[in-house]
Amino acid sequence: MLEVAGIGRDYRVDGEVHTAIDALTFQVAEGELVCVVGPSGCGKTTLLRMCAGLLAPTRGAALVDGREVDGPPEDTAVVFQEYGRSLFPWMRVGANVELPLKRLGLTRAQRRERVAEALRLVDLEGKERVWPWQLSGGMQQRVAIARAIAFRPRLLLMDEPFAAVDAQTRADLEDLIRDLWARLGITVVFITHDIDESVYLGQRVLVLSSPPTTLRAEVHIGLGPERDQLETRSSPAFAKLRGQVWAEIQAAKRGET
Amino acid sequence: MIVLVRKALLVLGLPSVLFALWWFASAGSTSFYFPPLSEIVAEFGETWTAERWREDVLPSVARLGAGYAASCAAGVALGLLIGRVRWLFHATEPVLEFARAVPPPVLVPVIMLFAGIGDGMKVAVIISGCLWPILLNTVAGVRSVDPVQLDTAAAYRLGRFRTLTAIVLPGASPRIVTGMRQALAIGVILMVISEMFAAQSGLGFAIVQFQRSYAIPAMWSGILLLGCLGAALAAVFACVDRAVLHWYHRQRTEEA
Repeated sequence: MLEVAGIGRDYRVDGEVHTAIDALTFQVAEGELVCVVGPSGCGKTTLLRMCAGLLAPTRGAALVDGREVDGPPEDTAVVFQEYGRSLFPWMRVGANVELPLKRLGLTRAQRRERVAEALRLVDLEGKERVWPWQLSGGMQQRVAIARAIAFRPRLLLMDEPFAAVDAQTRADLEDLIRDLWARLGITVVFITHDIDESVYLGQRVLVLSSPPTTLRAEVHIGLGPERDQLETRSSPAFAKLRGQVWAEIQAAKRGET
Repeated sequence: MIVLVRKALLVLGLPSVLFALWWFASAGSTSFYFPPLSEIVAEFGETWTAERWREDVLPSVARLGAGYAASCAAGVALGLLIGRVRWLFHATEPVLEFARAVPPPVLVPVIMLFAGIGDGMKVAVIISGCLWPILLNTVAGVRSVDPVQLDTAAAYRLGRFRTLTAIVLPGASPRIVTGMRQALAIGVILMVISEMFAAQSGLGFAIVQFQRSYAIPAMWSGILLLGCLGAALAAVFACVDRAVLHWYHRQRTEEA
Protein backbone atom coordinates (compact mmCIF):
# COMPACT_ATOMS: atom_id res chain seq x y z
CA MET A 1 0.00 0.00 0.00
CA LEU A 2 2.56 2.52 1.20
CA GLU A 3 6.20 2.03 0.49
CA VAL A 4 8.86 4.40 1.74
CA ALA A 5 12.11 3.83 -0.13
CA GLY A 6 15.25 5.52 1.12
CA ILE A 7 13.40 8.78 1.65
CA GLY A 8 15.37 11.75 2.99
CA ARG A 9 15.05 15.44 3.40
CA ASP A 10 17.61 18.21 3.90
CA TYR A 11 16.94 21.79 4.79
CA ARG A 12 19.04 24.91 4.64
CA VAL A 13 19.71 27.30 7.49
CA ASP A 14 21.86 30.32 6.61
CA GLY A 15 23.29 28.53 3.60
CA GLU A 16 24.27 25.49 5.63
CA VAL A 17 22.73 22.17 4.73
CA HIS A 18 21.26 20.15 7.60
CA THR A 19 20.01 16.64 7.16
CA ALA A 20 16.66 16.22 8.86
CA ILE A 21 15.90 12.76 7.56
CA ASP A 22 18.83 10.72 6.30
CA ALA A 23 17.20 7.70 4.71
CA LEU A 24 14.08 5.84 5.76
CA THR A 25 12.82 2.61 4.31
CA PHE A 26 9.71 0.74 5.40
CA GLN A 27 6.48 -0.69 4.07
CA VAL A 28 2.91 -0.53 5.26
CA ALA A 29 0.63 -3.29 4.03
CA GLU A 30 -2.96 -2.81 2.95
CA GLY A 31 -5.25 -2.62 5.99
CA GLU A 32 -2.44 -2.20 8.51
CA LEU A 33 -2.36 0.26 11.40
CA VAL A 34 1.20 1.44 11.89
CA CYS A 35 2.39 3.99 14.44
CA VAL A 36 5.53 6.06 13.99
CA VAL A 37 7.27 7.38 17.12
CA GLY A 38 10.57 9.09 17.70
CA PRO A 39 12.30 11.66 19.88
CA SER A 40 11.07 15.22 19.41
CA GLY A 41 12.57 16.96 16.42
CA CYS A 42 13.26 13.73 14.55
CA GLY A 43 11.21 14.75 11.51
CA LYS A 44 8.01 12.77 12.06
CA THR A 45 5.89 15.51 10.56
CA THR A 46 8.33 15.94 7.68
CA LEU A 47 8.01 12.23 6.95
CA LEU A 48 4.22 12.42 6.94
CA ARG A 49 4.20 15.49 4.73
CA MET A 50 6.41 13.69 2.22
CA CYS A 51 4.10 10.64 2.23
CA ALA A 52 1.11 12.98 1.76
CA GLY A 53 2.74 14.65 -1.24
CA LEU A 54 2.85 18.03 0.53
CA LEU A 55 6.64 18.17 0.62
CA ALA A 56 9.11 16.90 -1.95
CA PRO A 57 11.82 14.59 -0.61
CA THR A 58 15.46 15.48 -1.18
CA ARG A 59 16.24 11.84 -2.01
CA GLY A 60 14.40 8.58 -2.22
CA ALA A 61 10.64 8.39 -2.66
CA ALA A 62 7.35 7.40 -1.15
CA LEU A 63 5.16 5.12 -3.22
CA VAL A 64 1.44 4.62 -2.83
CA ASP A 65 0.14 1.55 -4.64
CA GLY A 66 3.48 1.36 -6.42
CA ARG A 67 3.20 4.88 -7.81
CA GLU A 68 5.69 7.48 -6.78
CA VAL A 69 4.19 10.30 -4.75
CA ASP A 70 4.84 13.61 -6.53
CA GLY A 71 1.74 15.39 -5.26
CA PRO A 72 -1.10 14.45 -2.91
CA PRO A 73 -2.04 10.89 -3.93
CA GLU A 74 -5.55 9.81 -4.82
CA ASP A 75 -7.58 7.98 -2.13
CA THR A 76 -5.46 9.46 0.65
CA ALA A 77 -6.71 11.60 3.52
CA VAL A 78 -4.69 13.51 6.10
CA VAL A 79 -5.65 14.50 9.64
CA PHE A 80 -3.46 17.26 11.03
CA GLN A 81 -2.54 18.00 14.61
CA GLU A 82 -3.88 21.54 14.44
CA TYR A 83 -7.59 20.71 14.12
CA GLY A 84 -8.52 24.32 14.86
CA ARG A 85 -6.55 25.50 11.85
CA SER A 86 -7.40 22.62 9.55
CA LEU A 87 -11.16 23.17 9.68
CA PHE A 88 -12.50 26.14 7.77
CA PRO A 89 -14.20 28.57 10.17
CA TRP A 90 -16.36 30.08 7.43
CA MET A 91 -18.06 26.76 6.79
CA ARG A 92 -20.41 24.89 9.03
CA VAL A 93 -19.45 21.37 10.13
CA GLY A 94 -21.47 19.77 7.31
CA ALA A 95 -19.84 21.92 4.63
CA ASN A 96 -16.38 21.21 6.04
CA VAL A 97 -16.94 17.47 5.79
CA GLU A 98 -18.56 17.79 2.37
CA LEU A 99 -15.93 19.97 0.69
CA PRO A 100 -13.48 17.21 -0.40
CA LEU A 101 -16.40 15.18 -1.77
CA LYS A 102 -17.31 17.85 -4.30
CA ARG A 103 -14.84 16.71 -6.90
CA LEU A 104 -15.79 13.04 -6.66
CA GLY A 105 -18.75 13.33 -9.04
CA LEU A 106 -21.37 12.46 -6.45
CA THR A 107 -24.89 13.82 -6.42
CA ARG A 108 -25.88 16.27 -3.75
CA ALA A 109 -27.96 13.60 -2.02
CA GLN A 110 -25.07 11.14 -2.04
CA ARG A 111 -22.77 13.74 -0.55
CA ARG A 112 -25.27 14.59 2.16
CA GLU A 113 -25.62 10.92 2.98
CA ARG A 114 -21.88 10.41 3.26
CA VAL A 115 -21.55 13.47 5.50
CA ALA A 116 -24.34 12.25 7.77
CA GLU A 117 -22.81 8.78 7.94
CA ALA A 118 -19.33 10.06 8.70
CA LEU A 119 -20.64 12.35 11.44
CA ARG A 120 -22.58 9.44 12.91
CA LEU A 121 -19.43 7.31 12.96
CA VAL A 122 -17.56 9.92 14.99
CA ASP A 123 -20.54 10.40 17.30
CA LEU A 124 -21.47 13.85 16.02
CA GLU A 125 -24.77 12.89 14.45
CA GLY A 126 -26.87 15.82 13.28
CA LYS A 127 -24.19 18.45 13.90
CA GLU A 128 -24.10 19.56 10.24
CA ARG A 129 -25.41 23.06 10.96
CA VAL A 130 -23.03 23.82 13.84
CA TRP A 131 -20.00 26.07 13.32
CA PRO A 132 -16.65 24.36 14.06
CA TRP A 133 -15.60 27.06 16.53
CA GLN A 134 -18.65 26.32 18.64
CA LEU A 135 -17.26 22.85 19.37
CA SER A 136 -14.68 21.71 21.90
CA GLY A 137 -11.20 20.74 20.73
CA GLY A 138 -11.90 17.03 20.83
CA MET A 139 -15.12 17.50 18.87
CA GLN A 140 -13.33 19.63 16.28
CA GLN A 141 -10.78 16.88 15.77
CA ARG A 142 -13.67 14.40 15.36
CA VAL A 143 -15.04 16.65 12.62
CA ALA A 144 -11.62 16.52 10.92
CA ILE A 145 -11.70 12.72 11.24
CA ALA A 146 -15.24 12.65 9.84
CA ARG A 147 -14.05 14.71 6.89
CA ALA A 148 -11.29 12.17 6.29
CA ILE A 149 -13.52 9.09 6.45
CA ALA A 150 -16.38 10.65 4.43
CA PHE A 151 -13.78 10.89 1.66
CA ARG A 152 -13.44 7.07 1.95
CA PRO A 153 -9.68 7.01 1.61
CA ARG A 154 -7.76 3.79 1.39
CA LEU A 155 -4.83 5.39 3.18
CA LEU A 156 -5.29 7.62 6.21
CA LEU A 157 -2.28 9.64 7.39
CA MET A 158 -2.53 11.13 10.87
CA ASP A 159 -0.03 13.65 12.22
CA GLU A 160 -0.10 13.68 16.04
CA PRO A 161 -3.85 14.20 15.84
CA PHE A 162 -4.47 13.99 19.58
CA ALA A 163 -1.46 15.92 20.85
CA ALA A 164 -3.53 19.01 21.62
CA VAL A 165 -6.53 17.47 23.40
CA ASP A 166 -6.95 16.58 27.06
CA ALA A 167 -6.19 13.07 28.33
CA GLN A 168 -9.81 11.96 28.74
CA THR A 169 -10.77 13.05 25.23
CA ARG A 170 -7.61 11.53 23.93
CA ALA A 171 -8.47 8.07 25.22
CA ASP A 172 -11.91 8.30 23.57
CA LEU A 173 -10.38 9.40 20.28
CA GLU A 174 -7.86 6.55 20.36
CA ASP A 175 -10.66 4.04 20.73
CA LEU A 176 -12.54 5.84 17.95
CA ILE A 177 -9.59 5.40 15.59
CA ARG A 178 -9.20 1.69 16.46
CA ASP A 179 -12.92 1.24 15.91
CA LEU A 180 -13.01 3.09 12.56
CA TRP A 181 -9.92 1.29 11.33
CA ALA A 182 -11.42 -2.12 12.17
CA ARG A 183 -14.78 -1.21 10.66
CA LEU A 184 -13.67 0.49 7.46
CA GLY A 185 -10.65 -1.67 6.63
CA ILE A 186 -8.46 1.31 5.78
CA THR A 187 -4.69 1.57 6.07
CA VAL A 188 -3.63 3.96 8.83
CA VAL A 189 -0.25 5.57 9.45
CA PHE A 190 -0.36 7.29 12.81
CA ILE A 191 2.39 9.66 13.88
CA THR A 192 2.74 10.36 17.58
CA HIS A 193 5.31 11.35 20.18
CA ASP A 194 3.43 9.41 22.84
CA ILE A 195 4.88 5.95 23.45
CA ASP A 196 1.80 4.59 25.24
CA GLU A 197 -0.42 5.81 22.45
CA SER A 198 1.70 4.14 19.79
CA VAL A 199 1.66 0.79 21.61
CA TYR A 200 -2.05 0.99 22.41
CA LEU A 201 -3.06 1.84 18.83
CA GLY A 202 -0.64 0.10 16.54
CA GLN A 203 -0.16 -3.34 15.13
CA ARG A 204 3.38 -2.27 14.55
CA VAL A 205 5.44 0.62 15.88
CA LEU A 206 8.25 2.17 13.91
CA VAL A 207 10.81 3.93 16.09
CA LEU A 208 12.82 6.70 14.44
CA SER A 209 16.27 7.85 15.50
CA SER A 210 17.38 11.41 16.24
CA PRO A 211 18.41 13.48 13.20
CA PRO A 212 19.87 12.63 10.76
CA THR A 213 16.92 10.29 11.07
CA THR A 214 16.89 6.64 10.16
CA LEU A 215 14.63 3.79 11.13
CA ARG A 216 15.91 2.67 14.52
CA ALA A 217 13.64 -0.22 15.38
CA GLU A 218 10.45 -1.92 14.45
CA VAL A 219 8.31 -3.34 17.26
CA HIS A 220 5.48 -5.77 16.57
CA ILE A 221 2.60 -5.22 18.93
CA GLY A 222 1.03 -8.60 19.55
CA LEU A 223 -1.79 -7.34 21.72
CA GLY A 224 -4.57 -8.69 19.53
CA PRO A 225 -7.48 -6.86 17.95
CA GLU A 226 -9.50 -6.14 21.11
CA ARG A 227 -8.00 -3.32 23.14
CA ASP A 228 -9.35 -1.68 26.23
CA GLN A 229 -8.10 1.51 27.82
CA LEU A 230 -8.03 -0.03 31.28
CA GLU A 231 -7.28 -3.72 30.72
CA THR A 232 -4.85 -3.45 27.83
CA ARG A 233 -2.91 -0.62 29.39
CA SER A 234 -2.50 -2.48 32.68
CA SER A 235 -1.55 -5.81 31.13
CA PRO A 236 2.02 -7.15 31.53
CA ALA A 237 2.36 -7.51 27.74
CA PHE A 238 1.57 -3.83 27.28
CA ALA A 239 4.11 -2.85 29.93
CA LYS A 240 6.76 -4.97 28.27
CA LEU A 241 6.15 -3.48 24.79
CA ARG A 242 5.99 -0.01 26.22
CA GLY A 243 9.33 -0.59 27.91
CA GLN A 244 10.80 -1.85 24.68
CA VAL A 245 9.75 1.22 22.68
CA TRP A 246 10.80 3.47 25.54
CA ALA A 247 14.28 1.94 25.66
CA GLU A 248 14.69 2.42 21.92
CA ILE A 249 13.73 6.08 22.14
CA GLN A 250 16.03 6.69 25.10
CA ALA A 251 18.86 5.10 23.16
CA ALA A 252 17.95 7.20 20.13
CA LYS A 253 18.13 10.35 22.26
CA ARG A 254 21.59 9.38 23.46
CA GLY A 255 22.55 8.93 19.84
CA GLU A 256 23.48 5.24 20.13
CA THR A 257 23.33 3.14 17.02
CA MET B 1 -36.91 45.66 23.25
CA ILE B 2 -35.11 47.47 26.07
CA VAL B 3 -31.83 46.39 24.52
CA LEU B 4 -32.86 47.91 21.19
CA VAL B 5 -33.86 51.20 22.81
CA ARG B 6 -30.58 51.36 24.67
CA LYS B 7 -28.68 50.67 21.50
CA ALA B 8 -30.59 53.36 19.62
CA LEU B 9 -29.89 55.86 22.40
CA LEU B 10 -26.21 54.98 22.31
CA VAL B 11 -25.97 55.35 18.54
CA LEU B 12 -28.04 58.53 18.24
CA GLY B 13 -27.02 60.16 21.52
CA LEU B 14 -23.79 61.91 20.57
CA PRO B 15 -24.97 63.13 17.13
CA SER B 16 -28.06 64.63 18.76
CA VAL B 17 -25.99 66.38 21.41
CA LEU B 18 -23.58 67.78 18.81
CA PHE B 19 -26.43 68.90 16.62
CA ALA B 20 -28.06 70.66 19.56
CA LEU B 21 -24.76 72.27 20.56
CA TRP B 22 -24.25 73.61 17.04
CA TRP B 23 -27.85 74.74 16.90
CA PHE B 24 -27.73 76.81 20.10
CA ALA B 25 -24.15 78.01 19.79
CA SER B 26 -24.80 79.39 16.34
CA ALA B 27 -28.35 80.62 17.08
CA GLY B 28 -27.41 84.29 17.46
CA SER B 29 -24.57 84.22 14.93
CA THR B 30 -24.30 87.26 12.74
CA SER B 31 -21.14 86.02 11.02
CA PHE B 32 -21.55 85.82 7.27
CA TYR B 33 -19.44 82.68 7.01
CA PHE B 34 -20.92 80.85 9.97
CA PRO B 35 -24.66 81.30 9.71
CA PRO B 36 -27.01 79.89 12.36
CA LEU B 37 -27.73 76.18 11.91
CA SER B 38 -31.44 76.99 11.74
CA GLU B 39 -30.72 78.98 8.59
CA ILE B 40 -28.66 76.13 7.09
CA VAL B 41 -31.41 73.62 7.81
CA ALA B 42 -34.01 75.92 6.28
CA GLU B 43 -31.77 76.32 3.26
CA PHE B 44 -31.33 72.55 3.03
CA GLY B 45 -34.91 71.92 1.96
CA GLU B 46 -34.84 74.74 -0.57
CA THR B 47 -31.48 73.84 -2.06
CA TRP B 48 -31.75 70.09 -2.41
CA THR B 49 -34.78 69.89 -4.63
CA ALA B 50 -35.65 66.88 -6.76
CA GLU B 51 -33.88 68.52 -9.66
CA ARG B 52 -30.70 69.03 -7.67
CA TRP B 53 -30.79 65.39 -6.58
CA ARG B 54 -31.10 64.38 -10.20
CA GLU B 55 -28.51 66.86 -11.50
CA ASP B 56 -25.88 66.72 -8.77
CA VAL B 57 -26.35 64.03 -6.13
CA LEU B 58 -27.15 61.10 -8.43
CA PRO B 59 -24.28 61.73 -10.87
CA SER B 60 -21.88 61.96 -7.92
CA VAL B 61 -23.12 58.75 -6.38
CA ALA B 62 -23.09 57.02 -9.78
CA ARG B 63 -19.45 57.99 -10.38
CA LEU B 64 -18.50 56.87 -6.91
CA GLY B 65 -20.37 53.58 -7.42
CA ALA B 66 -18.70 52.93 -10.78
CA GLY B 67 -15.21 53.81 -9.55
CA TYR B 68 -15.61 51.89 -6.32
CA ALA B 69 -17.03 48.78 -7.97
CA ALA B 70 -14.25 48.76 -10.56
CA SER B 71 -11.65 49.17 -7.80
CA CYS B 72 -13.13 46.29 -5.80
CA ALA B 73 -13.21 43.96 -8.80
CA ALA B 74 -9.73 44.85 -10.03
CA GLY B 75 -8.22 45.05 -6.54
CA VAL B 76 -9.46 41.63 -5.46
CA ALA B 77 -8.63 39.93 -8.77
CA LEU B 78 -5.11 41.38 -8.96
CA GLY B 79 -4.59 40.87 -5.23
CA LEU B 80 -5.45 37.17 -5.50
CA LEU B 81 -3.00 36.78 -8.35
CA ILE B 82 -0.15 38.71 -6.71
CA GLY B 83 -0.76 37.09 -3.34
CA ARG B 84 -0.68 33.57 -4.76
CA VAL B 85 2.29 33.90 -7.14
CA ARG B 86 5.42 34.34 -5.08
CA TRP B 87 7.73 35.87 -7.71
CA LEU B 88 5.00 38.26 -8.81
CA PHE B 89 4.64 39.43 -5.21
CA HIS B 90 8.35 40.12 -4.84
CA ALA B 91 8.46 41.84 -8.22
CA THR B 92 5.49 44.12 -7.57
CA GLU B 93 5.83 44.88 -3.86
CA PRO B 94 8.04 48.01 -4.14
CA VAL B 95 5.90 49.42 -6.94
CA LEU B 96 2.72 48.86 -4.97
CA GLU B 97 4.13 50.58 -1.91
CA PHE B 98 5.16 53.52 -4.09
CA ALA B 99 1.77 53.73 -5.76
CA ARG B 100 0.02 53.70 -2.43
CA ALA B 101 2.27 56.44 -1.06
CA VAL B 102 1.32 58.90 -3.82
CA PRO B 103 -1.56 61.07 -2.51
CA PRO B 104 -4.38 60.44 -5.01
CA PRO B 105 -5.53 64.10 -5.35
CA VAL B 106 -2.24 65.05 -7.02
CA LEU B 107 -3.17 62.67 -9.80
CA VAL B 108 -6.24 64.70 -10.71
CA PRO B 109 -4.40 67.13 -13.03
CA VAL B 110 -2.47 64.24 -14.58
CA ILE B 111 -5.58 62.17 -15.17
CA MET B 112 -7.31 65.22 -16.66
CA LEU B 113 -4.57 65.31 -19.29
CA PHE B 114 -5.43 61.94 -20.75
CA ALA B 115 -8.96 61.28 -19.55
CA GLY B 116 -10.38 64.73 -20.26
CA ILE B 117 -12.84 66.37 -17.93
CA GLY B 118 -15.85 64.08 -18.36
CA ASP B 119 -17.25 61.31 -16.18
CA GLY B 120 -14.41 59.06 -17.25
CA MET B 121 -11.88 61.35 -15.58
CA LYS B 122 -13.82 61.38 -12.32
CA VAL B 123 -14.18 57.62 -12.26
CA ALA B 124 -10.47 57.26 -13.08
CA VAL B 125 -9.56 59.55 -10.18
CA ILE B 126 -11.70 57.51 -7.80
CA ILE B 127 -10.10 54.27 -9.02
CA SER B 128 -6.60 55.75 -8.70
CA GLY B 129 -7.21 56.18 -4.98
CA CYS B 130 -9.51 53.25 -4.14
CA LEU B 131 -7.58 50.51 -5.88
CA TRP B 132 -4.51 50.50 -3.61
CA PRO B 133 -5.97 49.80 -0.20
CA ILE B 134 -8.09 47.01 -1.65
CA LEU B 135 -5.22 45.54 -3.66
CA LEU B 136 -2.67 45.71 -0.84
CA ASN B 137 -5.04 44.34 1.77
CA THR B 138 -6.08 41.52 -0.56
CA VAL B 139 -2.43 40.61 -1.15
CA ALA B 140 -1.74 40.66 2.59
CA GLY B 141 -4.90 38.65 3.29
CA VAL B 142 -4.07 36.02 0.68
CA ARG B 143 -0.54 35.67 2.01
CA SER B 144 -1.74 35.26 5.56
CA VAL B 145 -4.11 32.37 4.82
CA ASP B 146 -3.24 29.63 7.29
CA PRO B 147 -0.74 27.14 5.80
CA VAL B 148 -2.55 24.27 7.53
CA GLN B 149 -5.72 25.22 5.66
CA LEU B 150 -3.79 25.28 2.40
CA ASP B 151 -2.20 21.90 3.24
CA THR B 152 -5.66 20.53 3.92
CA ALA B 153 -6.89 21.82 0.57
CA ALA B 154 -3.86 20.32 -1.16
CA ALA B 155 -4.11 16.96 0.63
CA TYR B 156 -7.72 16.57 -0.52
CA ARG B 157 -6.75 17.71 -4.01
CA LEU B 158 -9.34 20.43 -4.14
CA GLY B 159 -7.82 21.87 -7.31
CA ARG B 160 -6.76 25.40 -8.12
CA PHE B 161 -10.17 26.92 -8.68
CA ARG B 162 -11.87 25.45 -5.65
CA THR B 163 -8.88 26.23 -3.43
CA LEU B 164 -9.11 29.83 -4.58
CA THR B 165 -12.86 30.24 -4.18
CA ALA B 166 -13.51 28.03 -1.16
CA ILE B 167 -10.31 28.55 0.87
CA VAL B 168 -8.15 31.50 -0.18
CA LEU B 169 -10.90 34.03 -0.85
CA PRO B 170 -12.86 33.45 2.37
CA GLY B 171 -9.62 33.14 4.33
CA ALA B 172 -8.49 36.52 3.04
CA SER B 173 -11.93 38.13 3.29
CA PRO B 174 -11.46 39.87 6.66
CA ARG B 175 -8.50 41.77 5.23
CA ILE B 176 -10.27 42.38 1.92
CA VAL B 177 -13.21 43.94 3.75
CA THR B 178 -10.81 46.14 5.73
CA GLY B 179 -9.30 47.37 2.47
CA MET B 180 -12.73 48.02 1.01
CA ARG B 181 -13.71 50.05 4.08
CA GLN B 182 -10.61 52.24 3.73
CA ALA B 183 -11.26 52.58 0.01
CA LEU B 184 -14.83 53.75 0.56
CA ALA B 185 -13.69 56.70 2.66
CA ILE B 186 -11.03 57.58 0.08
CA GLY B 187 -13.62 57.23 -2.69
CA VAL B 188 -15.96 59.80 -1.15
CA ILE B 189 -13.11 62.29 -0.79
CA LEU B 190 -11.96 61.79 -4.36
CA MET B 191 -15.50 62.01 -5.69
CA VAL B 192 -15.78 65.51 -4.24
CA ILE B 193 -12.27 66.60 -5.22
CA SER B 194 -12.58 65.44 -8.81
CA GLU B 195 -15.78 67.44 -9.12
CA MET B 196 -14.12 70.57 -7.79
CA PHE B 197 -11.59 70.66 -10.61
CA ALA B 198 -13.64 70.57 -13.77
CA ALA B 199 -17.26 69.64 -13.73
CA GLN B 200 -20.73 70.71 -14.71
CA SER B 201 -22.49 68.62 -12.10
CA GLY B 202 -21.99 66.78 -8.84
CA LEU B 203 -21.91 67.46 -5.14
CA GLY B 204 -18.37 68.83 -5.16
CA PHE B 205 -19.22 71.08 -8.11
CA ALA B 206 -22.37 72.36 -6.36
CA ILE B 207 -20.54 73.16 -3.12
CA VAL B 208 -17.80 75.08 -4.95
CA GLN B 209 -20.43 76.96 -6.93
CA PHE B 210 -22.30 77.97 -3.77
CA GLN B 211 -19.07 79.15 -2.23
CA ARG B 212 -18.12 81.24 -5.27
CA SER B 213 -21.55 82.85 -5.39
CA TYR B 214 -21.43 83.54 -1.63
CA ALA B 215 -24.46 81.30 -1.02
CA ILE B 216 -22.92 80.35 2.32
CA PRO B 217 -25.92 78.60 3.97
CA ALA B 218 -26.40 76.54 0.79
CA MET B 219 -22.71 75.63 0.86
CA TRP B 220 -23.01 74.47 4.46
CA SER B 221 -26.10 72.44 3.57
CA GLY B 222 -24.07 70.70 0.87
CA ILE B 223 -21.40 69.83 3.41
CA LEU B 224 -24.09 68.45 5.72
CA LEU B 225 -25.47 66.38 2.88
CA LEU B 226 -22.02 64.98 2.15
CA GLY B 227 -21.63 64.01 5.78
CA CYS B 228 -25.00 62.25 5.73
CA LEU B 229 -24.08 60.48 2.49
CA GLY B 230 -20.84 59.26 4.05
CA ALA B 231 -22.64 58.03 7.16
CA ALA B 232 -25.27 56.25 5.05
CA LEU B 233 -22.58 54.53 2.97
CA ALA B 234 -20.78 53.45 6.13
CA ALA B 235 -24.03 52.00 7.47
CA VAL B 236 -24.63 50.06 4.24
CA PHE B 237 -21.04 48.84 4.42
CA ALA B 238 -21.50 47.66 7.99
CA CYS B 239 -24.50 45.58 6.89
CA VAL B 240 -22.50 43.98 4.07
CA ASP B 241 -19.64 43.36 6.49
CA ARG B 242 -21.94 41.61 8.95
CA ALA B 243 -23.44 39.49 6.18
CA VAL B 244 -20.14 38.44 4.62
CA LEU B 245 -18.02 38.09 7.76
CA HIS B 246 -20.64 36.92 10.26
CA TRP B 247 -18.54 33.80 10.88
CA TYR B 248 -15.48 35.93 11.60
CA HIS B 249 -17.16 38.28 14.07
CA ARG B 250 -19.07 35.49 15.79
CA GLN B 251 -15.99 33.31 16.07
CA ARG B 252 -14.12 36.13 17.74
CA THR B 253 -16.86 36.86 20.25
CA GLU B 254 -17.83 33.27 20.98
CA GLU B 255 -14.31 31.95 21.40
CA ALA B 256 -13.24 34.72 23.72
